[in-house]
Amino acid sequence: MPETDDPINMIPGRHLAARRGADAFIRALGGGQITLRIADPSAGDTNSQLGITPPTASDVQIAPAAVQPLPATPESARCIQVMVSARGLQPIADSYGVTDIPGWLLGSQGVLYRGQLMPIKSVLSSSFAGADYLYLLIATK
Amino acid sequence: MQATKDSFYVELRNRLVTVDPQRTITLDGAARPAIVVAENEPPNAAPPLCDAFYLHWGGARSALPSSGTLMEMECAISYRTKGTDQNGNLDRGRDLASLDNDVLAICAPPQAVKCDYSTGAAVPLGSTIFWTQPVFSALVNAPPYIGREITVSVFFYPEVNQT
Repeated sequence: MPETDDPINMIPGRHLAARRGADAFIRALGGGQITLRIADPSAGDTNSQLGITPPTASDVQIAPAAVQPLPATPESARCIQVMVSARGLQPIADSYGVTDIPGWLLGSQGVLYRGQLMPIKSVLSSSFAGADYLYLLIATK
Repeated sequence: MQATKDSFYVELRNRLVTVDPQRTITLDGAARPAIVVAENEPPNAAPPLCDAFYLHWGGARSALPSSGTLMEMECAISYRTKGTDQNGNLDRGRDLASLDNDVLAICAPPQAVKCDYSTGAAVPLGSTIFWTQPVFSALVNAPPYIGREITVSVFFYPEVNQT
């Protein structure tokens, strides 16, 4: 096979390089961790639908994660940006059977930061070669 | 007032199960009829689900200020769809019409028994709630979604010691 038939952008698994790079970058920023509070599956009965039975929740540690405080806005007194690598998040999402990670994060109760639960307002995902390698979460209180 | 909200929701949900048993959603990991009270759900940033009815409660006031204690409360029911991928999303209009039909069907007859659900079981309060015919808003086209909102006025008598 001529060399030109196997261009560089067709190397299988090339997205893993971006994942490892993002992971290393976040570790270089300090390699902290963040706690994500995930609501447990609802009972689905009338009481839960009427908001009478509060949902239980589980705390999930995600590492590595880099947290950067953002300026307060008129809508929120506290705002943070959390950077999480897909390499750190994917195994946890897989354990929950999640395929849509941004949707799953938006549907969570939020992230715990300095003892406060901060709902996630937006999720940006960066992808390369068809696979996500970095998630940027904006959480506010 | 809470009993009115709960009774209205439960009645519409039970009717939806009868009218269109296939119209279900999975929310918070549980399969349920595709009707939701927005204020009873966790306050997260997840967008509303397609092909589901969301109840939003509005203002309340005395229906007959000069006499009696009858009150009315506004309820908006919003829904949207993007059609199906199999049909290239060209069936958005038909899906919306199907939702329109379902919401009309579950709103009739416009009355229900009022129950107190605060104890976890339905306790009849000895009165009924009733509501107006739905008023349909103009179609909201926000590609890839189309949707609309209907509003009804729900009438009820406030109960003494009712939470």
